[in-house]
Amino acid sequence: MRLFYLFKKEILEVFRQKEMVAVLFIAPLLQTILLGYVVRTDIQNIPVEIVNLSSSPDAFRLVNRITHSPLFQVTGLHRRPLDYQEIFKKGQAKAVIVFRDEEMTTAPGRLKGASGLAGGKEGPASGNGESGAATLRPASLLPRPSVQILMDGADANSAMIATGYFYGVIKRYLEDLLADQGQQLPLQPQTLIRFNPSLNSIHYMGPGIVALLLTITTMFLTAIALVREKEQQTLDTLLISRLTPVEIFLGKTLPMALIGLVEMTLGIVVVLLLFRIHLRGSLGLLFIAALVFLFSILSVGFLISLISQTQQQALFFSWFTMVLFLMLSGLLTPVENIPSVFQWLVEINPLRYLVKIIREIFLKGNGLAYFWKDLVVMGVVGFVSFFLSLLNFRRSVVR
Amino acid sequence: MPTEGINSPVTPTPPSGSFSGGEAARGTGETVVAVRNLTRKFGHFTAVDRLNFTIQRGEIIGFLGPNGAGKTTTIKMLTGLLRPSSGEVTILGFDLRREIRQIKKHIGYMSQKFSLYPLLTARENVEFFAGISGLPPARIKQVKQELATLIPPALLRLQVADLPPGIRQKVALFTCLLTDPEIIFLDEPTSGVDPELRRNFWSLIYGLKTRGKTLLVSTHNLDEAEYADRLLIIHQGKIILEGPPEELLQRTGASNMEELFKQAIISHETP
Repeated sequence: MRLFYLFKKEILEVFRQKEMVAVLFIAPLLQTILLGYVVRTDIQNIPVEIVNLSSSPDAFRLVNRITHSPLFQVTGLHRRPLDYQEIFKKGQAKAVIVFRDEEMTTAPGRLKGASGLAGGKEGPASGNGESGAATLRPASLLPRPSVQILMDGADANSAMIATGYFYGVIKRYLEDLLADQGQQLPLQPQTLIRFNPSLNSIHYMGPGIVALLLTITTMFLTAIALVREKEQQTLDTLLISRLTPVEIFLGKTLPMALIGLVEMTLGIVVVLLLFRIHLRGSLGLLFIAALVFLFSILSVGFLISLISQTQQQALFFSWFTMVLFLMLSGLLTPVENIPSVFQWLVEINPLRYLVKIIREIFLKGNGLAYFWKDLVVMGVVGFVSFFLSLLNFRRSVVR
Repeated sequence: MPTEGINSPVTPTPPSGSFSGGEAARGTGETVVAVRNLTRKFGHFTAVDRLNFTIQRGEIIGFLGPNGAGKTTTIKMLTGLLRPSSGEVTILGFDLRREIRQIKKHIGYMSQKFSLYPLLTARENVEFFAGISGLPPARIKQVKQELATLIPPALLRLQVADLPPGIRQKVALFTCLLTDPEIIFLDEPTSGVDPELRRNFWSLIYGLKTRGKTLLVSTHNLDEAEYADRLLIIHQGKIILEGPPEELLQRTGASNMEELFKQAIISHETP
């Protein structure tokens, strides 16, 4: 019953701050929508400068394919060499693709497929298709074009993906060439992609962002909740009352958990309706996972609130924790990439587990059998923070 | 009826010196607070230095001292909000260190900042404090009605942040009395309030005394000193003078409180 009044007061305080309500409910929605579209790992519209020094029809056709691909945004088509270094420095393009005729290059030996330098301008000759992607036609009477891909590697990830796209375009072109001649590659890989066949990153990011949403507001709110009482000296009154530390903990965290769940629901609606991501697993399980997660993240928030003396401190601590959680969550980069020295941080990061579970439920339709261990770890992190809070409660509020 | 005292003095009657005269008015002789060698250090700084005093039931103690003398530190220790570095405190026979839970049931505390939630209305504040004190719902309803008679209806809907200080002070005292505490600690309850409201407030305090409450009221306003039954004058963490106001005046030959206070401080600083 005492808890009810604490709960009511906490909710009243949140809703009395109009800016806060906007931050709590409108910002997360915008965030989900924006992040869903913006934080994409698949890249499109890669700005490309094309330098075509080749006179061969193959080079011409490839240029055409690149120009018409939605993956690339051709910013310039040139017939003479360019200072690509300058282009990258200016950020004018991420890639420069150079088509040359082999015999025109000064050092043909550097290029792949140096075997057939023969020129000649007769009709298309038969290719055996076994050379690398760099040379289009191993033996031909036509000028043998070679293609050079120059990438701006500053953003390594995008550069790798973009390079892959170029190889894909070239490979498809080669396959089509062979198909025209009734031939095909001797080895044809068959790729079967499950769960997200279109490899659309929104399907991966969307559900993950819901997890992020649940973290930001709840943790920050809890972190400042107790500190604000310290600042306005109302905490003294709470302490002099007969409330127990556990009651104060619950009174502070339960309202935030409720707000968090409402936000998550909004986020899920956006993901389902706007991003058209199909929920394959159980919605109920999603909320159970969210509850376990909330327990852990709110305990962490409460702990921050205890060790902070001012709201600024609390915000700084939560911001720091938040970034750490986010970086090690696998939301943006795969956790497998994180060096083993830091893997233990990954292991205790509750956000990592929630991101994983939400993605599994959304995309794979996984049930409890697949992630119960993750739930347990999240719960343990929650209990440890909870007990640390209780242990430190008296000491940190009664100095 | 914990709240009737706050309502009853409708007309501001500045209490005269006669209130503090006579043993009967001063207390029943039953010691309710006993402080022995109470000390609090913050690092190398000793904020409160071996305080010794007792408070009798029904007394109004004026806890007098300049800013930074250690008044708030002492009150916070007595209410369990701050840990003493050393010394012993017994309140109503309970040991402060071991039996703070028991003590909490019998004490009220109002801080100098009035400790209300600025975003909530007075009514919501009262409901909240009544609720967390474990008052039954029927009683909570009742105290909310009592509050409505205490402050103008137009102000009931305002958030506390928008209330004038005098009203805020009244509401704070009202919430402090919700649990009907026996001993009430008021830390500078009149700071930031104009003289007339201050006098009003003191008549509320007298109302509480007539109902057998024991009060410790800290202040740095010397003109309030004579309202108390007994003064504890604290300076640099030490009690430098103690006794009923008129007795102190007589003893020291000072003509008024200000002079008394100056003398006490000078004689303390030049031993």
